[in-house]
Amino acid sequence: MAGAITARQAPTRRAARADHGAPVRRRRSGLERAKARTGLLLVTPAFIFVAVFVLIPVGFAVYLSFTNYPLIGPDHFVGLQNWALVGQDATFVQSVLFTLEYTAIVTPAIFVVGYGLAVLVRRRRRGSALLRTLFFLPYVVGLVTESFLLLLELQPGSGGVNAVLHALHITNGQTAWLVHSNLALAAVCVLVVWFASGLTMVLLMAGMQGIPGDLLEAAAIDGASWLDQELRIRIPLLRKVIAMTLIISVVGSFLAFNQFYILTQGGPGTSTDTVVMWIYQVAFVQLHLGKATAMSLVLVVLVGFISFVQFFALRDRKA
Amino acid sequence: MRRLLGTGLAALIVLASTSLAGCGTTSKPVNAAAAGFGDNATGTVVFWARSDTITAATPLVKEFNATHPHLQVVMDSIQDTQAVTELATAIRGHAAPDLVDLNDIYMPIFTQLDAFVNLTSAISALPYARDLSPGHLTLATYDNQVYGVPYLADLSVLWINKTLFRRAGLNPADPPRTFAEILTDARKINSLGHGISGFSFAGDCSGCLGFTALPDIWAAGSNVIRGPVDHQTAEVAGNPAVSSLLTLYRTIWSEHLAPQSDLTDTGATWGNDFAAGTVGIFPGGYGTVINEVPAAKRSQFEDVPLPGPTGGYATFDGGDDLAIPAGAANASGAWEFMKWVLAIKQQDQLPSFGYTPVRSDALTPAFERANPLDVVALRALAHGVAPATTAYNSIFNQAGGPWLNMFDTAVFDNQIKPAMAAGQNGFDQLLTDEAS
Repeated sequence: MAGAITARQAPTRRAARADHGAPVRRRRSGLERAKARTGLLLVTPAFIFVAVFVLIPVGFAVYLSFTNYPLIGPDHFVGLQNWALVGQDATFVQSVLFTLEYTAIVTPAIFVVGYGLAVLVRRRRRGSALLRTLFFLPYVVGLVTESFLLLLELQPGSGGVNAVLHALHITNGQTAWLVHSNLALAAVCVLVVWFASGLTMVLLMAGMQGIPGDLLEAAAIDGASWLDQELRIRIPLLRKVIAMTLIISVVGSFLAFNQFYILTQGGPGTSTDTVVMWIYQVAFVQLHLGKATAMSLVLVVLVGFISFVQFFALRDRKA
Repeated sequence: MRRLLGTGLAALIVLASTSLAGCGTTSKPVNAAAAGFGDNATGTVVFWARSDTITAATPLVKEFNATHPHLQVVMDSIQDTQAVTELATAIRGHAAPDLVDLNDIYMPIFTQLDAFVNLTSAISALPYARDLSPGHLTLATYDNQVYGVPYLADLSVLWINKTLFRRAGLNPADPPRTFAEILTDARKINSLGHGISGFSFAGDCSGCLGFTALPDIWAAGSNVIRGPVDHQTAEVAGNPAVSSLLTLYRTIWSEHLAPQSDLTDTGATWGNDFAAGTVGIFPGGYGTVINEVPAAKRSQFEDVPLPGPTGGYATFDGGDDLAIPAGAANASGAWEFMKWVLAIKQQDQLPSFGYTPVRSDALTPAFERANPLDVVALRALAHGVAPATTAYNSIFNQAGGPWLNMFDTAVFDNQIKPAMAAGQNGFDQLLTDEAS
């Protein structure tokens, strides 16, 4: 009990600290303490959830990245070896660049198509509900199913895409779309834009419907054209929604796996390996879990940085 | 409060790290040399069967369970592509099965880590130990100790369509025995036209090409990987056998002797064109054709040994090994089932499922009469080769691996020398990674 502060000593010590300019701590009432305890109690489940499913796995991942962790047998601390290997892995660097290229292609395309679709269906008219359903349907069906369908339709000689192009005298019907990197990338991009535009459409449409009608009416009375209304009223008011759709799109593109795994398997060679595919390859084919985890952490930082830049660029400046 | 939260969080992370890291500790050892091991076992045996060969495992397990009321095998299927990860994760989590059926090329990954029960003494006690497939056993052996037994063989052969041979004026009794003869015969068959192709291969299937093209290199007395498992080197650049192989396939492709669809065949439709009767020569497995063609229509086909550039022959000793993960709850029951599977009666059933027995003493006159198309494969069993390397999956089975990359660049882009140079680098890189 030597170091304990008794109730009588405490005010004296506080007074002494106040004399030296230190912050004065007000003694909390029983009600405030009860409130604090209740607050702590209420956030505890969320904290445990985040700790178990986010913080501990991330902590374990950091630990793994400093070991030669095998799936079987004991692991050993290897210092910064895995991190050094990440920088030396040409395929990893290539896959990051390829993923950036892919993201740069599909993100604007998804936004433009999604915006266009939202413009088409934002008003309640006859048939708009049907159109919304049709445009959103690819997202509901799912990318894996659609990738397998496209895989069949792109086959030379037997696929529907080649059959149509041959019938239109554009190709000879034997185009091997998935064995040439540029053609394969184009095919995947078209698929993903078709798949993801529906979600962007729904988000933007909801945002557009929340814009007060009198604002647009006033603009129309003042002589604003349709384009003026879009550019000067709707888009500024949709800033937050646009930010959200772009961030969803960029993060989704950066983590692309299914469509490439099914359609190109990273080929030809490793030319269409996305960064997640390469990490998967290093972890579960080459069985280098330590190196793969280091790569994953690099990816986490990269995606976090890009998301931060997007948040910053698209933040609501009035807020 | 913040300090308390921070301390708690740090403690949780440390606790999780140490507990998860500790999952890799070994379980109680199993002594396969103990008296009574594998005899009159009871209970259940949890058996993970490879999905690709489940057609054989399903009826065998059913028959075993019907005849062994004291010991029941509970079978689960594991996807071939996920087998290594699933099994390794299960071993680390102390949730491994009693018995696992693995693609034999994956065995070195586990044997060198002491993850399977040492079966050396149990196998040597088998009366037919000498007749077991040497290729399968090599892959199950590490440091002179054997950790698995052969279960079924999937061997590569060269198929020919006798009907098309005759139509092209060729004698099916004189099949191609060199690369030059393959080309000559393929050209003649191809000239029949009407959608008939001289040759066919799965151009976008790395595993299929490893299975059928590597034996061409081995038949020349060469190899692309040399050395013990942990000190291997690649021999690709400047290898005359590799050059001959790539030149053969390049010539086939450039002269349009193979269907255009071969370029994108990922293995999903591998052998379908040959089974349909539109291809003259097709390197594949015994089962690749048997499983696709009804018995009544098989008479038009014949399989012969896969030749090297100027002669000789070799086969890829593919198929499955059975192994007991260390710490298996019913290792004795697993060994009892393994011995039953290896009995001639069960091995004789394998050809009907599209596989070859793993015992060369299964080759009897009765076997030849019952399974004429499996005779070539079974004869080749004793000379089968399978690359014992932990990098097999990375090098030969992955779409982005150096093997397929080299093949594609050489055959479809006509750059044989640069492809071989890139192949050498790719092989070296992966072998170095494995050794480190």
